[in-house]
Amino acid sequence: MRRAVNRMPLPMKDMSLSTFLKGAAIAGLMTLVISLVMVNIDWLGPVYSSEKEDIVTLLNVMIVLSSLVFSIVMVMMVYAIWKYRAKPGDESDGEPIHGNTRLEIIWTAIPTVIVIFAGVYSTIVLNDIEAKADNGKIMEVDVTAQQFAWRFDYPEQGVTSTELHVPVGTQLDLHLNALDVIHSFWVPEWGIKRDLVPGADLPGGDDIDDTVTVTPTEEGVFSVVCTELCGWGHATMRAAAVVESQDDFDAWAADQTKIPDEEDVSSGVPGGKGAGVFDDRDLTDD
Amino acid sequence: MESASIAVGSAHAHEHHGPPEAHSSSKIDRQTLGILLFIVSEAMLFGAFFASYFFLREVSNPTDVWPPDGFELPKAIAGVNTAILISSSFTIHWALEGARKGNREAMKMGLAMTWLLGATFLFIQINEYVHLGFSARDGAFGSIFYGLTGLHGAHVFVGLLLLSFANIRAWRGHFGTKAEDHLGVEVPGIYWHFVDVMWIIVYVTVYIL
Amino acid sequence: MVAALKNPGMPRAGLGFLIGGLFGFGLVVALRAVSGLEIFQTEATGYPHVIVPGITAPIGFLIGLGCFDYWFRWASGAPTIPDDHSQHGAYSWKDYFKFNTDHKVIGIQYVVTTFCFFMIGGLLAMLMRAELAQPGTQIVDPGVFNSLFSTHAAIMIFLFIVPVFAGLANYVLPLMIGAPDMAFPRLNALSFWMLPMAGVLFMASFLAPGGAFDAGWTGYAPLSTGAPLGQSFFNLGVQFAGASSVATALNFLVTIVTMRAPGMNFWRMPLLVWANLSTSLLVVGATPFIAGAQFMVLMDRAIGTNFFQAAAGGDVISYQHIFWFYSHPAVYIMMLPGFGIVSEVISTHARKTIFGYRLMAIALLGIVILAFAVWAHHMFVSGMFAWLRVPMMITTLLIAVPTGIKIFSWLGTLFDSKLHIESTSMLFALGFLVTFVIGGISGVMLGMIPLDIHVSDTYFVVAHIHFVLFGGSVFTIFCGFYHWFPKMTGRMYDERLGRIHFWMTLVGMLGTFIPMHWIGMEGMPRRVADYAAQFGNWNLVITIFSFILGVAQLIFVYNMVVSWRFGPKAGDNPWRAKTIEWLVSSPPPVFNFDEIPRVVGGPYEFGVPGARHAIMHDGDGATVSGPEPAVAGAASGGGGGEGGGS
Ligand code: HEA
Ligand code: HEA
Ligand code: CUA
Ligand SMILES: [Cu+2]
Repeated sequence: MRRAVNRMPLPMKDMSLSTFLKGAAIAGLMTLVISLVMVNIDWLGPVYSSEKEDIVTLLNVMIVLSSLVFSIVMVMMVYAIWKYRAKPGDESDGEPIHGNTRLEIIWTAIPTVIVIFAGVYSTIVLNDIEAKADNGKIMEVDVTAQQFAWRFDYPEQGVTSTELHVPVGTQLDLHLNALDVIHSFWVPEWGIKRDLVPGADLPGGDDIDDTVTVTPTEEGVFSVVCTELCGWGHATMRAAAVVESQDDFDAWAADQTKIPDEEDVSSGVPGGKGAGVFDDRDLTDD
Repeated sequence: MESASIAVGSAHAHEHHGPPEAHSSSKIDRQTLGILLFIVSEAMLFGAFFASYFFLREVSNPTDVWPPDGFELPKAIAGVNTAILISSSFTIHWALEGARKGNREAMKMGLAMTWLLGATFLFIQINEYVHLGFSARDGAFGSIFYGLTGLHGAHVFVGLLLLSFANIRAWRGHFGTKAEDHLGVEVPGIYWHFVDVMWIIVYVTVYIL
Repeated sequence: MVAALKNPGMPRAGLGFLIGGLFGFGLVVALRAVSGLEIFQTEATGYPHVIVPGITAPIGFLIGLGCFDYWFRWASGAPTIPDDHSQHGAYSWKDYFKFNTDHKVIGIQYVVTTFCFFMIGGLLAMLMRAELAQPGTQIVDPGVFNSLFSTHAAIMIFLFIVPVFAGLANYVLPLMIGAPDMAFPRLNALSFWMLPMAGVLFMASFLAPGGAFDAGWTGYAPLSTGAPLGQSFFNLGVQFAGASSVATALNFLVTIVTMRAPGMNFWRMPLLVWANLSTSLLVVGATPFIAGAQFMVLMDRAIGTNFFQAAAGGDVISYQHIFWFYSHPAVYIMMLPGFGIVSEVISTHARKTIFGYRLMAIALLGIVILAFAVWAHHMFVSGMFAWLRVPMMITTLLIAVPTGIKIFSWLGTLFDSKLHIESTSMLFALGFLVTFVIGGISGVMLGMIPLDIHVSDTYFVVAHIHFVLFGGSVFTIFCGFYHWFPKMTGRMYDERLGRIHFWMTLVGMLGTFIPMHWIGMEGMPRRVADYAAQFGNWNLVITIFSFILGVAQLIFVYNMVVSWRFGPKAGDNPWRAKTIEWLVSSPPPVFNFDEIPRVVGGPYEFGVPGARHAIMHDGDGATVSGPEPAVAGAASGGGGGEGGGS
């Protein structure tokens, strides 16, 4: 304890400012490389809703910050292993350094700043993706899940379907309800997910947050994926989500006046209709 | 419940075969601390049921009526029962004072009366269950009512069990005036106070509020 | 024969199990007869004929084994015979199958038993990976797959990670604080023996009609309340495992508070002791909540209550609140003891005192407090109160701060050290720093609501789980196994095999769990036996690496078993560590110490000439510095750095 514990801003006995700067530079470079590689990888898959765009931006910012944290840890660790490794047969002890208040404050403060930033940014993004559409075009759809099938009711159009058809660029207000156990609504391309809770439509279900909004921006056929474990058919509980032009949608809605008969229901059961939404593969022939 | 064996075991007969006496690094006695921590975890168990109570009453209750229409609780009888249980807290305290002061009669009587009061409470409670007219299957109210009072009843039962042991030992002449010699009264006593306090909370939330 | 059934032990335990089961069955039959119900079960009655024996049979086993003999004698007022110490120490392998109150025996019982559960849980994971190697269903049907991951996770969590830490601490903690045993040795033994019972219940569910429990380890209602019989075994098994961990936690707390050696004030306790203090606080505060949650599910199932039945006024989401109020703190129950182990190992092998010791201890307590305020981050997409999300996000993110303090303090410890990375335990400690930071960062991402909305319930979460639980907890467990193996067995393991084990585990672990981040974000949901073809290639890669990971564990088992039997003698203090457990012989004497040691300094005073942590015998207490006399049980000490080499 007699030795000067604190030379530079750092307690390390033989770490000069230049070593420190070198380390910092390596950490910075590593951050840059990791971030560049990671941000350019298409992590989240296709981004086909305006909500998911915000999420992707948030993810990219987080990737940069995380690479920074990870790089700092790695550089410190590898440097220490390289520099302070004991020679074979060296039985002596390290320096009796018990701590350094300044350093401890630094590594409490910096993560605090980072996570507060992450929290504030996330809150802003959350408010954005849950905000009502600017153009005021909102379509209501009642989504009902049941082991292991989906049903979509369009109160305005008076239509019921086992496929989710939506006009592109229109904000959807999905009202979620389940008939038996909890299910979860997710379209990976839209990035939006929310559980469907049994009892949401009952008088006691007022406190259940059962409305989720999403604005699809790209036409195509996607899968509605059930992401909450709901029983043996969970893996195959899918329905098609069809995003189409307003005209196509209107035409489709006009066509759907009757409730589909039994055979047409997307059951999610292998062999049932709707199971085929698994890409190019038919589930029945395993 | 170590005290008896420690008292006998440390007679130095086994000096070189037994473990060394542990250093006591705190003023608080091991068993007292143990029972206090146990009570913390018990309180958390009740906490889980109170959380459920909150959800059933405030969150998923479609009306503002609680208990919902059709459920009637015998507040008065339960009130009397509450008084019985509370008085047993005084008798157990009396027993403990007796043990401390070497008044064996007071200790024995206090323990016996506490046991009887507790048993009376449990008996009235079961009687209430029989005459309530609704069961645990009747709506959310039935479930949480039986859940909370049943959980508490189970604790009374365990408390009675502990008190039975204390009674048996007291009547067979155990327990002395030194602090470590009447832990067998003190520790069940602490637990019994907890059971009483818990009942007051349960009674107030379930019957009154 | 008759004597074997009269005296405590395995035969009587078996008998007790039978009698307990019959008693429970008879009780149900009798009660149903009295109350005029149909005597034998019908599907709708929730199988009380199985559930009640599911409680009474294990209790019968425990009584038969002798867990309660002493207390029965005490309760009936019979004189409690002076302890003849026949329940101390283990002199042959048979003693490990007895009711033994010696914390060192219990520690080994714990470690070995829980490691067996790790192998079982791992085998179930291998089955899962085999099924997932290709899209489509090949080996098991979807229902069985659901049972596989549910039992995999339940066994890993409730029967491996949580109790194995209790086992390691059971062995070393009393030694570390200079106590002759735990505060309540009989309660300690009872805690251990509840675990095999929980295991029996979990396993028995495979025999139940309808298969093993399959609602995930989270057992969300109302899926679990409507599930077949197997689910009840989960509900019951969790009660036994939970009771076991609460009892152990009480024991640790009382031991730490009341039995520290003279001079061992709170700021001289090794960080492992601090870590177990914090963990025990979490257990005492949180575990009752899972007991409550599973009781309610069991009652909904068995007697038809409506806690979670929406149609009858129940609240579906309340299950998740109650469950996560335990299960989030539980993830720190599964991590903090590991932090403690890593602190010991890093300090010892860096030959340096822990950087910022006090802040390390404070950070642990900070995590304990925050842990109770973040549970709803598992429910961001559950449809719970929308207003609760942002506060829960903030507290969740803040947990990165105390955790970061720990990470950076360990790194700070490495600076200006004399780093020895030859020993496998240090390799695992350093590997832990890498993998846990990755897992923690993915946790922070999950904590950010908009990201969680997309990746919740996908393989991204599975990746996070395994980076923190495997890269975090399991790495620290191996770290502890290797570190204290010489102390527990008196023998040295094979470092070369240890290093192979480490590198294979690290590579296997990274290869298995890194790609899961990606397929999760791309759109693969978790808990599925079958998936879209686009994820086929990555899943094959994952499966191959997971087999490497599996084989690596076999090397570990081989190393441990063979070294225990044939390894070279280790010496009392092969790592030249300072804490008290290294100042006694290896394995330690039956009663730990002849005399309680006196603590005279901090636990990690490396490099301070003459500094010592503890003095073993009063005789040499006068001199605080200088070499120690060569008394058995005090092989090394002093700052000079003499003593057994590795
Ligand atoms: C050992 C177990 C363990 C540990 C330690 C953690 C640690 C953390 N976990 Fe994890 N978690 C699990 C086990 C664990 N988790 C499990 C089992 C599940 C799934 C349950 C299920 O559904 O089945 C889960 C799920 C889970 C979710 C829910 C995901 C979902 O289902 O949608 C979330 C969301 O917030 C989360 C967050 C976190 C956070 C923020 C931490 C933090 O504590 C991490 C803190 C650590 C660090 C951040 C790294 C070190 C710090 C630094 C180097 C400082 C600088 C860092 C920054 C500034 C970022 N976890
Ligand atoms: C401590 C906890 C822990 C540990 C150690 C592990 C270890 C492993 N886990 Fe586990 N896992 C969880 C906790 C844990 N897991 C949890 C909580 C879940 C969530 C469950 C849920 O959704 O409810 C989960 C879910 C989970 C899934 C997702 C299931 C799904 O959502 O569909 C997968 C898939 O790959 C998986 C794989 C593995 C693998 C390959 C290992 C490997 O690391 C295992 C390595 C060990 C061995 C292999 C054992 C030793 C070797 C042998 C016995 C010899 C046999 C060897 C061969 C045949 C090669 N786990
Ligand atoms: Cu519906 Cu999973
Ligand atoms: Cu959590």
